[in-house]
Formats: sequence, C-alpha cells, structure tokens
Amino acid sequence: MSPGRGKRRLMSTPAADEPAGSSSMVQRLLRLAWAYRARCMAVLSYQIALLALGLAGLALSGLAVDVIRRQVSPGAPAPRWPLGWTPPATWPPLALIAAAGGIVLVMAAARAVLNYRYGAAVGHLVQMQFVPEMRTRVFDKLQRMSFRFFDATASGSIINRVTSDVQSVRAFVDQVLIQGVILFLSLGVYLVFMLGKHPTLTAACLGTTPLLWLFATMFSRRVHPLYHRSRALSDELVNHVTETVQGIRVIKGFAREPEQRAAFDAKSLAVRDQQRGIFRRVSRFSPAIDLLGHANVVVLLLYGGHLVATGRLTLGDLIVFAGLLQQFSGQVGTLANIVNTLQQSLTSARRVFEVLDAPIEIADPAAPERPTMVRGAVRFEQLNFGYRPGETALADIDFEAQPGQRVVLFGETGSGKSTLLALIPRFYDASAGRVLVDGVDTRRWDLGELRSHIGVVFQDSFLFSMSVASNIAFGKADATRDEIEHAARLALADDFIRALPEGYDSILEEGASNLSGGQRQRLAIARAILRDPSILLLDDPTAAVDHETEREVLAALQAVSQARTTFIATHRLPACRGADLILVLDDGRIVERGTHDQLMRQGGRYFAAAQLQLGGAPVFTADTVPATAFTERGK
Amino acid sequence: MKIVPPRHEREPNRRPLDAKLARRIFSYTRPHARRRNWLFFLTAARSLLLPALGWAVGAVLAGPIARHDGRGTALGVAGFVALLLVTNGMFVFRIRFALELGEALVHDLRRDIYAHLLRMPLSFFQRMPAGRLVARISSDVDSIRLGIQDSVFIGIVHVGSMLASATLMALYDLTLFLVVLGLVPVLWAILRYFHRRLARSYGEMQESFSRVAATLAESVGGMRVIQGFGRQDITGGLFRALIYDHSRYNLGIARQNAIFTPLLEFNGQIFVAILIVLGGYQTLTGRIEVGALLQFFFLANLFFNPIPILTNQYNQALAAMAGAERVFRLLDTAPDWIDRPGAGPLPGLLGRVEFRAVSFAYEPGRAVLRDVSFVALPGQTVAIVGETGSGKTTIASLIAKFYPPSEGSILIDGHDAADIDTDWLHGRMGNVLQASFLFSGTVLDNIRFGRPSATRDEVQAAARALDVLEVIDGLPRGLDTEVGERGASLSAGERQIVCFCRAMLANPRILILDEATSAIDVVTEARLQKALGVLLGGRTSFVVAHRLSTVRHADLVLVLAAGRVVESGRFDDLVRAGGVLAGLHRGAGITTG
Repeated sequence: MSPGRGKRRLMSTPAADEPAGSSSMVQRLLRLAWAYRARCMAVLSYQIALLALGLAGLALSGLAVDVIRRQVSPGAPAPRWPLGWTPPATWPPLALIAAAGGIVLVMAAARAVLNYRYGAAVGHLVQMQFVPEMRTRVFDKLQRMSFRFFDATASGSIINRVTSDVQSVRAFVDQVLIQGVILFLSLGVYLVFMLGKHPTLTAACLGTTPLLWLFATMFSRRVHPLYHRSRALSDELVNHVTETVQGIRVIKGFAREPEQRAAFDAKSLAVRDQQRGIFRRVSRFSPAIDLLGHANVVVLLLYGGHLVATGRLTLGDLIVFAGLLQQFSGQVGTLANIVNTLQQSLTSARRVFEVLDAPIEIADPAAPERPTMVRGAVRFEQLNFGYRPGETALADIDFEAQPGQRVVLFGETGSGKSTLLALIPRFYDASAGRVLVDGVDTRRWDLGELRSHIGVVFQDSFLFSMSVASNIAFGKADATRDEIEHAARLALADDFIRALPEGYDSILEEGASNLSGGQRQRLAIARAILRDPSILLLDDPTAAVDHETEREVLAALQAVSQARTTFIATHRLPACRGADLILVLDDGRIVERGTHDQLMRQGGRYFAAAQLQLGGAPVFTADTVPATAFTERGK
Repeated sequence: MKIVPPRHEREPNRRPLDAKLARRIFSYTRPHARRRNWLFFLTAARSLLLPALGWAVGAVLAGPIARHDGRGTALGVAGFVALLLVTNGMFVFRIRFALELGEALVHDLRRDIYAHLLRMPLSFFQRMPAGRLVARISSDVDSIRLGIQDSVFIGIVHVGSMLASATLMALYDLTLFLVVLGLVPVLWAILRYFHRRLARSYGEMQESFSRVAATLAESVGGMRVIQGFGRQDITGGLFRALIYDHSRYNLGIARQNAIFTPLLEFNGQIFVAILIVLGGYQTLTGRIEVGALLQFFFLANLFFNPIPILTNQYNQALAAMAGAERVFRLLDTAPDWIDRPGAGPLPGLLGRVEFRAVSFAYEPGRAVLRDVSFVALPGQTVAIVGETGSGKTTIASLIAKFYPPSEGSILIDGHDAADIDTDWLHGRMGNVLQASFLFSGTVLDNIRFGRPSATRDEVQAAARALDVLEVIDGLPRGLDTEVGERGASLSAGERQIVCFCRAMLANPRILILDEATSAIDVVTEARLQKALGVLLGGRTSFVVAHRLSTVRHADLVLVLAAGRVVESGRFDDLVRAGGVLAGLHRGAGITTG
C-alpha cells in the first residue's frame, strides 16, 4: 500500500548524503568493539605470545650460527649468550646443536597451538558474536521501520545492509582494530630489538621505509578514482545484459540484434580500455615497491657486511637482522591493507548506523487504548498528509464511514487513494488532522491491537513462498485448519486451492508465480479476513487483472465484506457496485462524493470516467486534455 | 515463515582441473599469441630469477661477508643490484602482459557469449532465469579472468622457483635435500586433506547463506504485509535462527583454517630443526662448510614459502574451471531451431497472414494452441481476446515468428513462414508485444529503437502522426528525458505512448501489439485509444486486446478458450450471436441495481 512512484526517490535526505565525520564514526565503532573487550584482549594476548616466540626463535638461530662458526673457525668472535648464562665448556658441541634443534621444535609446536587458539578465538568473536548480534539488531530495527523507509529505499540496498555491510563493519574489529594493534606492537618491538643490536645499521636499513609508505599512498590516491570508474563501466555492461534478457522480445521483434551487439561490444571495449590504464599503473607500481623493499637488503649487505668484516657485528647478528628486516617490511605492507579495510568498514558502518539510528516514526503511545469490542467506525477529520515535508499527498480529507458500510475511493493513479487507505492502520501518521477508529484517535491506540482489527489486501497481493495454508494463516500463526478453510471458502478460494497438487499444503513458488492473478488476489483476501477484522482495506484489487479475473475477485469481495467496514481503492467501475459511499479523489482532495446513482446524475468526473469505461465515445477530445494529466510521475 | 530452499539447484563454484577445458580457454589466447608467448618467456625467466636473488643474498652473506672480504662484498652486492634491476624490469612487463591478456581474452569471451545469447530463440530465455545469464557474463567470466591473470602465471613462477631452489639444494648437499624431499609427501597429504574438508565446508556455508539471503529478500519485499499482519516477532525469531545457523558454518571454516595454516608452518619448522641438527653435525665433522649450511637456510625458505601461495592460486584455478565450464556449456547450447536452409527474403511484403491448423506446445505433450486456423487480409485489424492462459500471447508470438508451430503452418503472403528469413521478417514487423518495455536511455533512444537511422525530425513526425507529440514535449526534458531503469521515471501511460511511437517509426507492414492491462487514468486512456487507431491504420494488425473499444473496431475478433478459437467474426455479429464474447462483454460493463 505504498505509492508506486515513491520507490524512485532513493535515500537522498541531506543527512544521508553528508558523510558523518570519519573520526566520530571511528569513535563509535570503537565503542561498539568495547563491548567485546574481554575476547579482544584474549585474542591480543595470543598474538603477543606469538611475537615473543618469533623473536626468541630468530635470536636463537643467530646464536646457533655463531656457535657453529666458533667451533669451525676458532678465530671468529665469541657468541653472545643471552641472560648472562654460558653453557659449561664440557658440553660437546653436538649436544648444543641437538638442544638447539629440540628448542626449535618445541617453539614451533607452541607457535602452532597459539596460532590455532588465535584463529579459533577470532572466529568465535566475529562469527558467533559480533556478526549475528549485529545482523539481528539491524533486522529487528528494520521490522520496526515505517513504510516511509521502505518507500524510499531500494530493497537491494536494505538487503545489503544486513548482509555485506555488517560483514564490512565486523572487519573493523578483526582486521582493523586487532590487526592494527598487533601491527604497531610488533613494529615497536622489532624496532627496539633492532636498535638494541645496532642503532646505525637500523637507521640505514629503515631509511627507505617512509619512501615506501609515501609511494603506496600516492599510488592508491591515483588509482582509486580509476577503479571507481572501471566499476561503473562494468555495472553498465551488466545492466545492458540484464536489459537485453528482459527486453528480448522487443529486440527480436524489431530485429535489432546487430545494434545491440555493437552497443555491447562498445561497452565491453570501454571496460577493457579503462582497465588498461589501471594495468599500466599497477605494472609500474608493484616492481617499484619490490625494488624499494630490496634497497634495504642492499644497505644491509654493504653496511652490515662491512660491520661484520671489521668485527663490530657477528655474522649471526647480521642474519638475525636480515630476518627482522624481512618481518618489518612485511608488517609495513599490511598497513596498506588495514587502511583499505578501514575505508570500507567506515562506508558500511555509515549505512548500517543509518538504519540503527533512524527514528521509529510510528510507535505505541505511552498509555495505549485497547478497546475490547471494535465496531469499525472510521472517521477522517480535516486531515492533511505529505510523504515529505512541504509536499501534499492528501488535503482536507473529512468523511465518516459507519460500521459495516462499504466505501469506495475512486480516482486515477496518484490521486491519493492508496495513501488514504494506508493512514487507517497507521502505516503513516497524518501531518495535520486525525483519523479516528471507533471514536479514538489512531495515535492513541495500541498499534498491534489496532492493526489486528484491520484486514489489508495489498495492491501487489504479496504472498510468501510457503504453503497455501501458512499464507492464509499469516496474521494468526496458531489458526486451526478449520479456520483457514473457512476463510478460504469465504474468499471463494477453496475450490482452486483443493485443485492444487497438494491442496492447502502446496508450497507457493517465489512470487506465487504458479498462481494466476485472480487466485493470488483471492488468497490475499482470505489472508486478510482470517482474523475476522472489523475493518477491511483493499488497495486496487483489480488493477492488473483482466475482466474475467476482475469478476472473480469482485465476487470474492462481495462475499467477505458482509458486516465489515470495507474500503476499496480503485479506478475501475465494476468495483464501485453496491458502495454506500463513493469518494472521488483528485490530486489528494475529495472532489465528489455520493452513491453511484447520485454521482451519475451529477455528470462530473465520475460520470465521465464511467462513460469511457463503458466503451462509449471518449468524453475528452485530445484538444481539451489538460497537460497535467500526464505529469503523474514522481514529482 | 519456513526456511526457503534455494529456488534452483546451487551451481558448484569449484571444479577439478580439466585439461580439455584448459585447452579451450587457451585457444582464446590465439589472437593474442605474441603477447602470450612473451608472457610465457617472462614468467619462465622470473621463476629462475627469483631463486637466483635469494641465492645471491645468501652467497654474499656466506661468502665474502663471512670471509671479511670487503671488495668481494662490494662486487657481490653490485651483482645483486644488477640482478634486481633485471628482475624488476621484466616484472613490469610480466604483470602488464598478464593483466592485459586476461582482460583481452575476457572481452573476446563476453563478445562471444553476448552474440550467442542474441542468436538464441525466445524459448531459451523462458527456460533460463535472467540472473543466471547475467552471472555467466559477469561473475563467471570474471573468475576466468582471475584464473588467467593470476593463477596460471603466478603458479608457473612459484612452481618454477620451487624446482630451481630444490635443484640448488641438491647441488649443495644431497643428504639435506633428501630430507626436504621426504617432507613433500607429508605436505601434500595435509594440503589434500584440508582442501577437501574446506571445499565441503564452503559449500555448506554458501548453502546456509543462500537460505539467509532468500529469507531476507522475501521479508524485505513483504515487509508491509508483515507489519500489516503483526508478524514481526515470528519473522524476527526465524531470521535469528537462520543467522546463527549460518554463523556456525562460518565458525567451522574459521576453525579449520586455524588448524590448517599453523600446521603448514609447523611442517616447515620441522625441516628447520632437522636442518640444524643434521647440518650442524655435518658442519662440525667438516663435511660441509658453514656457508653451505647458511645457503641451505635461504633456499629452504624459497622452497617452502610458495606453498601457501600455491594453495590460494589452486583454489582460484578451480573457481576459474567452474566458471569456464558454465560459460562453455552456454556457448555450446544449440538454438532449439534455426532458419531452414534456403530460407530467404520475399520480394516484398503485403501483409496477408494465414494460420493453417496450427498447434503449439512449449513443452511436448502440453498443447497451448490447438488447431488454430484463420486468415488476416492485408490492412485488417485482428483482435485476439480470451481469458488469462487461453493462448492469446502465444498466437501473437507465433505470428512474430518467435517460435515455429509444432503442427500446421503459418503462411505470410502465401509463403510458408518457415521458408522466410527470420531477420528479414522481423525487420518488417512491428512488435509491441511486451507491454511497454523500455530500455534505459532517453525517450528518443527508445523510439529510435524501431528504426535506428531515423532523424530527430522523423521521430517527432511519428509522434505527431499519433497526436502524442505534446505529451512527449511535456516531459521534463522532452525527447531527451531519461526514462530510467525499465522506464521507471515515466508513468504507465507515457511508457505505452513511447512504445506506440517506436512501432509507428518502424512503419511495419505487420503490427503485433499487446495492450497494456495496467492502471491507466481515464484521460491518458482516451489519448491512447486515439493513438492506437492511427497506429493500426493501413497495416495488418494483431492486437491482444483488453479494451472493449479495440475489440469493437476490429475487422476480425478471435475468441480463444483453452487454446482453441471458439468464436471468430466481427464484434457486432458475435455479440448478437450471444456466445462467449457476449458474456465477456457483459462482464466488462457495469450493471447497477
């Protein structure tokens, strides 16, 4: 029951366009991660232990080299034993070596265990805690969002917020926060360790590192927009294919295959050429980074070699140094990844928080009214409504429907009839004026209670891919089979349901594509009346069906509307049959009201429409057609 | 809401390596043979240069530096720098050529797939969900691209490096090399075991995700119904259950990876421990030099480091294989029917259409049309009416030659349609069959679809002839208004008007038209009916009619029921006869009282 044109207004409120400050977003993500601090600390402690083990391993291998050299060529400098401990000279060298081998093995085993614990802990943190909790929060919030949100947001975008966006946000926890802490911790420790071995050599070797960093930043800045453009071109290509498949009859019908092929080839070439530009840059960047990285090694060999030659550094230390340097460069490389991930998770976080922060427009009042008996009197009092501030979809709506009456809202697409219906179950709130059900303002009703007394047949008769019985019992999950069949019989749906392969237990396909339009509508009507509502709303139930189906639907309608206040929005005359009150809407205002006979006598808009639909000569000639008649697209 | 099974059977996202498939992908590199051959040369060279670089560092450390030989160190470093420059210089082209080759090949593939799609008859598109066709040309082609750009060449480089370092190790010390060799089967076993387990887990994880995604999509689509019927608690509970179910699969994968990677690393460390003990012993006993032992440490790294990289690339190669298999299966799908040999154009087209005992079934045994015969003379308007599913659209599709009849024959100007070139025929027919389908682009683009060579003036003339020019000029940017995806920024009436203009511009001898059923306001309706009258004038027209006025003005009305023509003739005669049409007529009107 939404205005079809609303879908085109994508989320473009000023607040959504203007990105919230990155730093405040990071703060918010940090607060979010704080809730998981205990597990984060556990994860970090594994990493700290791993770091320590790594360093010890490197130091030991250096020591081993020096020990062996000392044994082989006694002139070599004495190994520097750690912790002030020296093995007794009586130990045979072979025992020393065996011990070293044993230590390596023990340490490797410890590393493996720690690594496993780390991986399992991170997995548990993000997959079992963060992601499902976040997804549940977003989905629960979605369920409380008003129709306005669903009007304005494409469903693909909503789905992405629950799936991929939540995954990107969680990447902030394990790939930005935890990895970032690990990175700085290990860089610091490596640096201290290297400085402890030899400060000048450290400075000389790390001289090129800032250059590496600068280079990488410049590159990503240059290439980023190119990737963006390339992405857009690929999207165009995919859209072209989608349209081709959807419009294949048109293409074949007009024999336009050659033109379509040429257009596709041009688009495909555009992607290829755009990619080439990126490739040229990438192919210069990677080798250059590699070269810069190796500059460290050159310095190490030249300067470090000189130090070893002059006896100021042992060969073992130099090898340890080489190892550290390699680790250090590796870690600097991950920094680029972390920054990239941060960007992505910030973008996603904005989209997720947009949902979580959205105000609940339609909420229960503080002291809700829960009338026990609902008769179904509906009154609109001086009501105005706009989908957006300053816009008017309904103006000066004022009428009353007595319990049990049938009211028809008659008007063209965009005249406001669906909107009017949507205000009764409080899918939207009025901008001014009020809607009363049984004399009580709908805003003072308990929301769930109000809606439980109203049965709605939506324009698109959306059915779910579950059994026919569960679809009918959608509003009352504990309905008995008798109740379900009773509702179906009332809606004249029982016969065709029984003819389905599995009867009431037949599973509907996605979009109920195995049913005809009239069957879908009748199921939707059965669904609406199962709860025996006092008020029944039908939004253009015969909009997209042929005449035969229209008759089926109207017959069902006739059967179920007894003793209920029924509202029908329509632009078709047959649906007006037997109405107690017809409200003719135009541009959001009631322009005529009365019964069919009264309106036919008036000779106004209703009369004109009736003439046309009865197949008579058009009342308007082309010259008198007002230009506004064609401007009903989303303004 | 019960858990929704994925609508179509899931498509596997990995496939074992297959030489035939690989050869077929390779055949696509033929037009780019020069670049490809250079690439193979560069890759082979790189697989030798990489271990050479590692060896050089070790050699300088273990040689001149260990000997305290300053001059030798300088010379060694100079050699290293030279080697480095050569390696990275070649690397530039190795990367560029691989990326370009992949992209060029993918462009060729996309072109072939698209051309193939356009050759397929309509029945194909009815069988194939649109999403799948799009996936063929986007994600499947993309995985082939990654396979070429990365897997093949990175794979060659790393396998080459491993072989080269193994050879060097064997040269330095055979005993130690044999130790390395002994570890290889262990590595292989670990890789295989985890590869299988992970592949299965990924499959299960994706299946559980498709359950989440399908349920989510349905919930979002039906959110108005959910809220209208107060089902939030039940839907929320089910969704939570699905989410946690999916999370368990994700956790399982994380756990397996947490075992797999450390285990590989542990394996490498075992080698280091053995190396220390065995190598240390040999050095002490003087059988090898310290330098050689050091070299061994460097080479062992070169040997073990590529293994995780190769595992990743192997996975990517499997994905590429799965993509290639699907793409080629699509390319190998033959059209259900093609023009008969010898089918050609007619000298001209008058527009006489005759059905002779035509029957048709989309699936064998389920006839949609039975024994349909009629004649439409040039210039006549034929209205086709009937209930949903009675076969109206099928008759129109057969006239348009979207399908050949299963039995009987269709004659156009007295010639069997099967003997007429389909493209030629389509070029002379106008088709408004798919009610109001517009392509994204401007209104002008869409109207020109009927005749791409038409000038702006001709487009305006067509609109003027239909008396709808002022409607089009009244759009925000007139003819240059963007219609949006599927024409979403136009109203239903405006969309239909654009389709009419498109058919008018094509100026066909035979026009086939599906009247819009959707809600159109009365004023637009009046305008459309008038335009329709002009459009149908002077050509043989078939209208799948939903409006009484159209039926009333037709020269011939075919009333269909369950695939048969149950009544045919002029409207007034049929109403007077009091048959099916008369009943429909009464239903469409309004009886008050």
